[in-house]
Amino acid sequence: MTGLLLLPAVILLVMAVVVGARWPRLWLGFTLAGAGAALGAALTVFPSGGGWEWQSKFLLGGETVHLRLDGVSAVFMALAAVVGGAGAVYARGYWPDHGHPATAPRGRVWWSALVLSMLLVLTVSNGLHFLMAWEAFAISGYFLLTLDPRKPAVRAAGWLYLATSHAGTVCLFAFFTLLAARTGGWDLGPLRADASCAPLFWLALAGFGMKAGFFPLHIWLPSAHANAPSHVSAIMSGVAIKMGVYGIVRFSGWLPVPPAAGWVVIGLGALSALLGIAFALAQNDFKRLLAYCSVENIGIILIGLGAALLGREHGDAGWGRLALAGALLHVWNHGAFKTLLFFGAGSVLHATGTREMSRLGGLWRRMPWTAGLFALGSVAVAGLPPLNGFVSELLIYLGLFDAVAGRQASAWAAMPAVIVLAMSGALALAAFAKAGAIIFLGAARTKPAAAAHECDGWMRGPMLALAGICLVLGLAPVLLWPALASAAAAWHPAWAGAMSPEPLATLGWVNLGLAATLAAAGSWLWRKVRANNLRRAPTWDCGYGVPSAKMQYTSGSFAGLAAGWFGWVLRPVRTLRRVRGHFPAHALRLERVPETVLERVVFPAGGYVMEVSTAVRRLQHGRLSAYILYVVAGLAALGVLVFMESLP
Amino acid sequence: MINSNLNLLIGLAMGLNLLALGTSRLPALIRAMSAQGVILGVMPILMGHELDWQVVLVALATVAGKGLLIPSLLRRAMRTAQIDRELDPQIGFVASMLLGAGGTIAALALTHQLPLLPEHSGSLLVPGALATVLTGFILLIGRTKAISQVCGYLILENGIYLFGLLLIKAMPLLVEAGVLLDLTVGVFIIGIIVDRIQRAFDSLDTRKLTTLHE
Repeated sequence: MTGLLLLPAVILLVMAVVVGARWPRLWLGFTLAGAGAALGAALTVFPSGGGWEWQSKFLLGGETVHLRLDGVSAVFMALAAVVGGAGAVYARGYWPDHGHPATAPRGRVWWSALVLSMLLVLTVSNGLHFLMAWEAFAISGYFLLTLDPRKPAVRAAGWLYLATSHAGTVCLFAFFTLLAARTGGWDLGPLRADASCAPLFWLALAGFGMKAGFFPLHIWLPSAHANAPSHVSAIMSGVAIKMGVYGIVRFSGWLPVPPAAGWVVIGLGALSALLGIAFALAQNDFKRLLAYCSVENIGIILIGLGAALLGREHGDAGWGRLALAGALLHVWNHGAFKTLLFFGAGSVLHATGTREMSRLGGLWRRMPWTAGLFALGSVAVAGLPPLNGFVSELLIYLGLFDAVAGRQASAWAAMPAVIVLAMSGALALAAFAKAGAIIFLGAARTKPAAAAHECDGWMRGPMLALAGICLVLGLAPVLLWPALASAAAAWHPAWAGAMSPEPLATLGWVNLGLAATLAAAGSWLWRKVRANNLRRAPTWDCGYGVPSAKMQYTSGSFAGLAAGWFGWVLRPVRTLRRVRGHFPAHALRLERVPETVLERVVFPAGGYVMEVSTAVRRLQHGRLSAYILYVVAGLAALGVLVFMESLP
Repeated sequence: MINSNLNLLIGLAMGLNLLALGTSRLPALIRAMSAQGVILGVMPILMGHELDWQVVLVALATVAGKGLLIPSLLRRAMRTAQIDRELDPQIGFVASMLLGAGGTIAALALTHQLPLLPEHSGSLLVPGALATVLTGFILLIGRTKAISQVCGYLILENGIYLFGLLLIKAMPLLVEAGVLLDLTVGVFIIGIIVDRIQRAFDSLDTRKLTTLHE
């Protein structure tokens, strides 16, 4: 059954790639049908829990094609299918042919290629083929990202993405070749007993981590997500970085891991969660804010995964299962609400043409749908009940609490992780309160913001669908139970069948009750306000005669206090011209938050490498006689070597 | 007896190496190179094998080629380019002569360490070949005029030829024909390059070609 759905999914997506440039409607149909078939294939895996495997005689690159879809990969495939389909619909409104005649056809082709290559990454079960699919996935991502290459910022972001992506791929090459050397074949599968493979986990963590974008390796992520077209940002943030998470989950499940793995992963997760949200808080570009928020959420997922690794290490503790389920559920949830938020951001960008929050304001009156949906996404991302972000974070919390209560060594990792998780949740709420307030509330700060228009149906439809997913996952998380159980069983067979869906069921009822209360309170309030003859007036303006839109909180001042706590890592660059004299002419305060890791670490290191390379390059100057000298010196050195060898 | 004659000739060739390194005048360099070629050419006849016609033919061809044809070609190139001196070389004349002398001594010293066949252990063939190859390299590295570099290349070939003489018993014609062919092709190519450089840049100074890299 799974294979019967996967085959048409692949064929339909290949056809979508073929027809994408010419026939947009046909492309949309093929892509949606392909995504639907892939979603169906993923859903068929969950109830049986056994997974699907297909070993063919067909050779590709000298290796037999071996496909496999189990609980772990099906979780990611379902996400890729949903976001791939939603983004295809959204792109029709956001990046239409009449607005972008040159790039829209290309965008369609690469979109289908990206979804297709992600499906392949998730199904192939051979190291060599995995690398091929991985490369195709990275390359399609690059071409989607640089859909509008006339802008220098887009090109720079594209290069950074390509360079870091390949740095990660180098690690993966090393990982898969060393794995093949130790196991004697490229075929992948569970090898939990072979302890000699354990150190390879570090290579996988670095290689997949580059794509997942946890803290020190996130350098490509903010610029790529900010400069890509919004539907591309959505799939990159919602799904593409999850492929890195998939790699880490997959190979930590199949291969043995070193004893320190759980500690390192939980530590990286905590670092990523805290600093990611700190950077998000300080951003003024709302797409960059969303990008840094992705870093935070990857951190949350890694905290869950690290706790799961620790739990597996310390005698299959039950809290490890909870944490793993939370991490995988958060993969799903983050995919849903971050896609929704990027679609909302795209809608704002489409309507106003700017990503600067300080140039917006008061958009909710002109864009009520976008404002409402963005607010819903914000509630979800901040981990507030009754939406889905709360559910997955709560599962991770429960796992960590149990770990602390267990009073084993792992409590020392779990306790700080709980604190960091709570802090990052609070900061996420602050960051999204800021984004929502500055973009949608108050008065319009510039003319484009005042002239904004609501998005069309093509864009609103996918946003509504994703909002629906966020709501359903929040209110009835128990629906996802089979998926999580089969994924946990595929990750660690000893955890098969032993889990109980009780926390999720209880949570669902609590959330339902809360949602019903909120809805009732909201409608009561609405009716009360309507009954009392609603009157619109400016807010209290502190007695100013002519208040202007400039007298509002800016995004910097809104987040100034919280961002100040992280000044030691944000290191904001300030330009300040104070108000002077009795009739001050001009005052100015600019604040820019640099990409600390990139600008303080990677660029200087890169500059040093360039200096050394330039020095070495002086050897190549075109003087023939010196080249002959090199040859003679080389020969002499070889001669000396041979001579030394021949001596007794 | 035969070995001592051979050693005498090789010694002479080694002396010519030093002469080639020490002179700044191109005609003297060409003369040293061609004299070395002639000496090497007659060597196979003195090697003590029965005089079969193939060896004589190869010796005659070598003498004619290295002693007459190539020097006359080089002289013509020199006249066309109107230069007869190597000015400001990369490695000075005294320095290159000292290098060559040091290299010769090192070659002699090294030969004692090498595991040679007993019949070659008394001869100067191996150290002579090493020293001549080294001389060729010093000329190639240290000189800037294309004609000097051609001479360096030819002296390098002479050194390889000397090594080839070690094998003359096993495969006489093959070795020398290979060496000669290699050499002829080399001279042709370098002749053409010299002509082109001269026409394109009005100079034979190879240092002016550095802007062509990459």
